Order: sequence, then structure tokens, then C-alpha cells
Amino acid sequence: MSENEQFQPRIAAFLCNWCSYGAADLAGVSRLQYPPNIHVIRIPCTGRMSPKFILQAFRQGVDGVWVSG
Amino acid sequence: MDLDKCIACGACSDKCPKRIPNEYNEGLDKRKAAYVRYAQAVPLKYGIDAENCIYFQKGKCKACQKFCPTGAVNYDQQEEVRDIKVGSVIISAGFKPFDPTPYVQYSYANFPNVVTALEFERILAASGPWMGHLVRPSDEAEPKKIAWIQCVGSREVNTCDHPYCSAVCCMYAIKEAVIAKEHSHTDLDAAIFFMDMRTFGKDFERYYEGAQEDGVRFIRSRIHSISELEDRSLQIEYATEDGQARMETFDMVVLSQGLETAPETIELCQKLDINLSPGKFISTSCFEPVTTSRPGVYVCGALAGPKDIPLSVMEASAAACAAAGKLSSARGSLAQEQEFPEERPVAGDIPRVGVFVCSCGINIAGVVDVEAVAEYAKTLPYVTYVRNNLFSCSQDTQDKMAEVIAEEGLNRVVVAACTPRTHEPLFQETLVNAGLNKYLFEMANIRNQDSWVHSGDPAAATEKAKDLIRMAVAKAALLAPLQEVQLEVTPGALIIGGGVSGMNAALNLAAQGYTSHLVERDNALGGNARSLRVTAQNQPIAPYLDELRERIEAEPLITVHLNTTLKEGEGFVGNFKTTLAGDSGEEVVEHGVTLICTGAGEYKPNEYLYGQDPRVMTHLEIDQAVLGGELDLSEVNKAVFIQCVGSRDPERPYCSKVCCTHSVESALAIKEANPEAQVVILYRDIRTFGERELLYKEARSKGVLFVRYDLEHKPEVKATDDGLLVTVRDHVLDRDLLIEADLIGLATAIVSNRSNDLAQMFKIPMDSDGWFLEAHQKLRPVDFATDGVFMAGLAHYPKPLEEAVAQAQAAVARAVTVLSSKEMMLPGTVAFIDQRKCVGCGVCWTVCPYQAITQDDKGLAVVNEALCKGCGTCVASCRSGAPNLRGFTNQGVMAQIMAL
Repeated sequence: MSENEQFQPRIAAFLCNWCSYGAADLAGVSRLQYPPNIHVIRIPCTGRMSPKFILQAFRQGVDGVWVSG
Repeated sequence: MDLDKCIACGACSDKCPKRIPNEYNEGLDKRKAAYVRYAQAVPLKYGIDAENCIYFQKGKCKACQKFCPTGAVNYDQQEEVRDIKVGSVIISAGFKPFDPTPYVQYSYANFPNVVTALEFERILAASGPWMGHLVRPSDEAEPKKIAWIQCVGSREVNTCDHPYCSAVCCMYAIKEAVIAKEHSHTDLDAAIFFMDMRTFGKDFERYYEGAQEDGVRFIRSRIHSISELEDRSLQIEYATEDGQARMETFDMVVLSQGLETAPETIELCQKLDINLSPGKFISTSCFEPVTTSRPGVYVCGALAGPKDIPLSVMEASAAACAAAGKLSSARGSLAQEQEFPEERPVAGDIPRVGVFVCSCGINIAGVVDVEAVAEYAKTLPYVTYVRNNLFSCSQDTQDKMAEVIAEEGLNRVVVAACTPRTHEPLFQETLVNAGLNKYLFEMANIRNQDSWVHSGDPAAATEKAKDLIRMAVAKAALLAPLQEVQLEVTPGALIIGGGVSGMNAALNLAAQGYTSHLVERDNALGGNARSLRVTAQNQPIAPYLDELRERIEAEPLITVHLNTTLKEGEGFVGNFKTTLAGDSGEEVVEHGVTLICTGAGEYKPNEYLYGQDPRVMTHLEIDQAVLGGELDLSEVNKAVFIQCVGSRDPERPYCSKVCCTHSVESALAIKEANPEAQVVILYRDIRTFGERELLYKEARSKGVLFVRYDLEHKPEVKATDDGLLVTVRDHVLDRDLLIEADLIGLATAIVSNRSNDLAQMFKIPMDSDGWFLEAHQKLRPVDFATDGVFMAGLAHYPKPLEEAVAQAQAAVARAVTVLSSKEMMLPGTVAFIDQRKCVGCGVCWTVCPYQAITQDDKGLAVVNEALCKGCGTCVASCRSGAPNLRGFTNQGVMAQIMAL
């Protein structure tokens, strides 16, 4: 990476349908702006969050995993 | 604004040139004349504020109409007056926060850093004027010291004439202080100036204690004045409990404003001929807490007296129950059955995925290159059809999509548009109309979570839309059609506990036309209320209980089981089966819903000479003795009441809520019977919340003495030759008082029955104090996470009789939502177990929060689909990979991740 190029992490976000996913929608309604390098996967509950999902996301090359619920 | 056409894109607001103070943020920032009041509005539709709109006021502008992509702006709309025929009316007009502007003593109007609690609420909110950053209005600097002043517009008759307590301000002030500390970048010094701390609700006392541990300062005081310093900080002069004058400077002051009824609501009530209470709330009886003086008109929420959210929600269901009772014969008479085409079998077919990319007018297409995205979608595996819609949710597009699904033989559908949280049901209905199972659907959220939040970077937003569609398609290809299980509903209830809550529940269910079994372990109905003398409105309780018993006896829909306990229970919503054990042997009862009304008990202390001296009695014992004629209050000359006996201590860190009012009632009854009697109440905080404060005031005016003590210096009781002697440390005089007594009343705690068997039988949780734990403390106060089980009364938390009645009515309203359908459909997104992989280790049934998994006769796990809520905790926890979750399968989520 050159010095001018800032590190842009790719982030996979697993968001609970009932809270954080709704909050992400609300951020849209409020037109809050954030960087596009975050991809949301909707899950029915953070209880659904299998460790395998996190490992697979890293294997897929993401730099960070965010689980929220 | 044409609500059918508005897609809430916000273009009107964006282009509107008129800026006015935003009332949602209490005027702390600005909004446009074309606006949506707040981001969470339902339905999410914009409106035009004609009073501030340039076109309406000056005849020119129309910017919003010009830029609206759907033609929703219509300036010709007129106010319509419509007549609606109804059988009942519910008034839920709420309260108005007390406005301190006209009162000089609060210094609100002149000092910018004196804010109301509601303004502070908006300052703390992420959707507020400073996005949740803690700042003070004068210079937008972060305050390091904030003071809250309690009872602003409450418990005050000198100028603003509100003698009542507003019941919610202590709790919200603590909450604001705690959250402010969390938002602060420094170690915020938060101080609450109060008279009595009234944290009487469920888990509130713990919250109060937690705040003290977090360093929030609680200063028992009276405020003298607030003055402003040169740097706009504020100097508070106050008097402490022991009469010392003190002074302290704060960066900001929050006024904990009370609740009052709006003048226009008072006018409405007068127009409707509805009686108001002294505090100008709608007056109701303790026995019928949601019924107004006008037949057929019901009330709920803070309009019937100051109250918090849980109780308002409870009353809302109660009012629905009361309002529907008389109308039950008309239930369903206006409902229409919908018909759907037969479902096309697709199992085993190669996936044919149709992708619909929505432009949402310019909402998506204005940022995302939808055509490029649609082209890209065509290249994805299994995608056989792609189409770009201008508005996917419009009716004509829906019809077109149904046609396309049939014509193209699509068997999976992906819509890339807004959010599944609002639009999934709509598109699923389109699938059903096209003969496709509704679970063969997936959404890609390219508006709320893409175009709207990355509007400054169209190229990246377009790439992200492609990613999201690729992920959705990968999951969609693996979707399977799911079946929804249909359950028959047994149209009757089991009510456990025959106290005031259980009796009211049975009668209200009967009024709605449903049968119930009312089970009581004692030999008579009535519960704790049999030992109670009067309500907080001084209405005698015994005749009320007699009337309830008579009505129950005369009611053919109610079967009473006395001397009966529960032996075992099984089943789930709609289909419970419970074995009762009574005098005449065992009986199996089938019921669709279960109402837990098991009540609570009275704490029996081992202090203050209780049990050793007959003149030391508990509340219920005094009431019972008066009712039974063994105690004549006119013969009481010197009475002392000791509050918080067994409550608010380390063993029971909760407030029992009813005892302050009860002692005040008893004190007043003694004063009534013998005006010369000396009555002293030893208290820690007097918690006569709401209009009960008037009783407290009356007691003081009649000469009842109130002496405060604290937990470190509890009163002591001694028996002497002349009678009982109570020693207590007085905080005002700072010395010990010796008080003689011929009667000591102990305000003992209300304690849980700790019915563990019941908790297990009906799969309902209990908190550490032994109270049953509702599905959501604020929003679902009578439901459990387990469907079909509801609760009312003291089993939930200590409460006065009127709240128990309201909760019973609320539980009935909730129960009727189950009982009123002959059968119910369960969602298809539930867990299932592949028993070939199951080893019966038990992890899944241990972690299942709904106790939906049991062990079958082979020792392996099996899911009860009626109990499963589809959370997937079992799937994540199993080491053998035996469980899977329909709709969110391991394979489906993995496919999504691999398409990242």
C-alpha cells in the first residue's frame, strides 16, 4: 500500500432483524452518511450467529466482522 | 399530500425553501415547511405545514410539487369533516409537558442553559439537534456539571397549581443523568435536586441505586433560586434538609417538568360531558380504571392520571377490552376473507430467479446506476429474468410482477429496493398472488442501506448494490418453499388465581363471550383484597368483592374451582391441557390461553417487636382487625407507622409501591375516627405518586406528622410499662425523637410466592425478586415471550388494586387476540432437527429461550413448531449440526457470506 492510499477495511455486518437492522434502515431515513465498505447480512437474532459465519467471512477476505443485536 | 403516492423520498423537504423551528426537537433546530415529523413516523409520509408554507401564505413557490417524483403534492386538499358510527370511544389524548416559561422562579425563559427535560431528551437523542452530542445551548460547549431540578410544575400549589405528583419525573431524571454521563467525554458531574425520590416501579429502585453507584449525586433539598453568571453558567441557591443554605454552580440546569392535561383536551372532555379529577385528569373509579363517567367512553394513558409507558400500554389494552366487551357480538362482522390462487409446486425444480431492481423514483436511481446493476444481475447464476421498476411497490407494478412470475416460470424472486422490514410482506403477497410460496423471496436493501447513506459516492453505491444483489441471489437460489402450520384454537381460558385480577379477568372474558376456568387454591375467591379496607379513593373494598363474587356465580361461562391446585400442564398457545387437583379429585382442562393471576404475599418481619407484641401489626392485619371489628380506630390515641419494612433493603431491593399510600389512608382513618390522636409516619421517601399526593397533603393538613429516617438509622421499638416507645433520628433537628405509641403499623413488603412449578409448567421466566418477567417491560407488560400466556396483578409486581384491575382487563384483551380466531397460522421460519445428526446432548434444549425443544422417546431433540420463534440459537449452538433454521439455513447464510 502506498502512503497516499488509506487503508479501507471491508466489513461484514451481521445485524439482528429486530434492532440493529432496523437502526441501519433508520440511518437511511435520516440520511446519515457512512463509508460504503460495509455489507449487511440480516439475521433473525444474534442467537443465530454461528462462529462459522465469522470464520467464513474472514476466509472471504473481509477485514472486520461486526455482530450487532 | 397524497399518502398513496408519497414514497417518503424527502425531495419536497429538500427543495422547500422555508425553514422554521422544529417542534420535534423542541425548537432546538430547524425543519422545512414540507416535512416528516420524525424519522420513525408510521406511515412514513411527508406533509406540508400550510401555516408556514410560502405557497399557502403568499401564493408562490410550489417547489415541492415541481420536484416530487410521484406527483404526490396536492395543494387542493381540504380538511374533511366525516361522521363515523362507532359502538365505543376510547380517549387517549395524553398529556402536555408542563411549560415553565411563564414562571419566574424557574428562570427558564431568560437563561439559555436552563432547559426542560424534554429538550434535554432531544439533546441526548441521536436524531436530535446535535446528533446525541452532549452540549449546552448557549455556546454548544460540552457541560461538565449538570443539575436536575425535580417537581417543576408538580407538588406545587403556590403558583402553578398542580398539587399532584407527576409520577414519572424521578425516573426520567435518573435516566437522563445516567445517559448524560455515558455521552460525556469528561467525568460529568450530575446532581439531582429532589424532595422525595419516587422510584416505585418494577426494577426502578435498582436503577436508582445503580445511578448512585455511578456517581450521580442526589441532593435532598428545596431550591431557592437560579441565577446566571457572566459565562452563562448557573448558580443554584438551595436549602438542605437540615435548613443549611448552600450554593453551587452548574454549566447547565435541566427542569424535570411535570405532566398536565392540555387546555384543548380539557375542553374536549367538557364537550363530551366527561368528569375530571381535581388535577384535571379524566376521573375514573379504582374498580373501573379505564371507564369514564360517560357510558361507552373509555380512557387510557396519562389522560387518566400521570403515568409511565408500561402502565399506559397496559391501560391501552384494558380500554380495548372494556370497549370491545359490549360490542363482542359484532366481532368480525365487517371482515372479508381473501382468496389466493393454488400454490405451484417448485420443489426439485432448477432455480429460476427473477430480479426486480427498483429505482424508487430517484431515491435509488438518483445515486445508483440501476441500469448497470440490472445488467450485472443478468450475469448471476440461476437468474433468468431481470427488470427495472420505477416504483416496485405501486399497485400496477405489483400486478405486472405477478404476471411476469407466472409467464416466466420464475420460482425464486429477489427484489432490490427498500427494506424487508417494511416491504417484505407486500412482495410476499405478490408471490402468493402469482401462485408461488411466499418464502421463495429475498430482498436486497439498496435504498435504506445503500443509496440513502452513500449519496455522495454514486460509483461505490452502484458497486455495493451489485454486491447486495449478488448476495441476495446466492441465498435465494437455496430457498425452499415452507409450510405454515395451522393450529386449532380451544376457545377457552384457564385463569390461575381467584383474587381481584383473576375475578376481573374471568368476568371480562365472559363479557367477550369466552368460557374460563377460574382456579383458586384457597376455599374462597377474593385473594389479598379480602384483607383490604379501602382503595386510594376511600371506596370500601368488601362490598366490591361481594359484587364480583355474585356476578361470577351468576355467570354460566365461568367455572370456579376452589381448593384446587395445578398438578401438571402441557401444550402451547391455542392448545393447553392442564390437570387440576381439587376436592373432588383430578380434572383435565383444555384451554387456548392461560392467565397467571397468582398474586403475592405479605412479608412477615422479625423486627420492631412484630410477633412479640400484639400492638405491632402489619398493614393487612390492621385492615383485617378494623373490618372484623376487633380494632376500633376511635380508641387509637398514639399511632406510629413505619415504612419500608422489608422493602428497599439489600434482601429485597425494590419498592412495594402501595405502602406509602396505605399508611396515609390508615393515618387519615385514625384522624377521622379520633381527631385528637397523634399519628406519626416514619418514612424514607414518601411515594404517594400521581393524585395520591393529595392524600399526603390532606394528611399533613390534618396534623399527621411525617419524620424521615434512613436505612443506616432505622427506628427502634421498645415495649415499656406505659406502652410502646419508638426512637428515631430526625434529620431536620438532627437528634433522636422518642415517640410513644399504642399502635404500630408496619408497612411491610409485598413478597413473591415464588411459584417455580408454575414457571416451569407454562415456560415463563421469573426475575431475581420472584416477579414473573413479561415479554417486554415497557411495550408488552402483560404478555410473556411464550405465546398464549398472560399475567395480571401482584404476580407481576406490587401494585394497587386499580392497576391490578386494569392489568386483568389488558390480559383479557391480549388473550382475546388468540381466542377470537378458530385457528392460527404459525410462521414457516422455524427450526428443525436432522435426527440422524443429533446425539441428544441437550445443548439445544438448554439454550432455547422459548423452551421449544424437547427430548423425544429416543432421547433426541425435537422442535415444537408452535413454540419456536425462529431465533436460530439452537442452530448456532449445536456441535453436530443437527438443527437448521428454515428461511435462514446454514447453507443460505453461508452462500450470502461467500458472495460477499
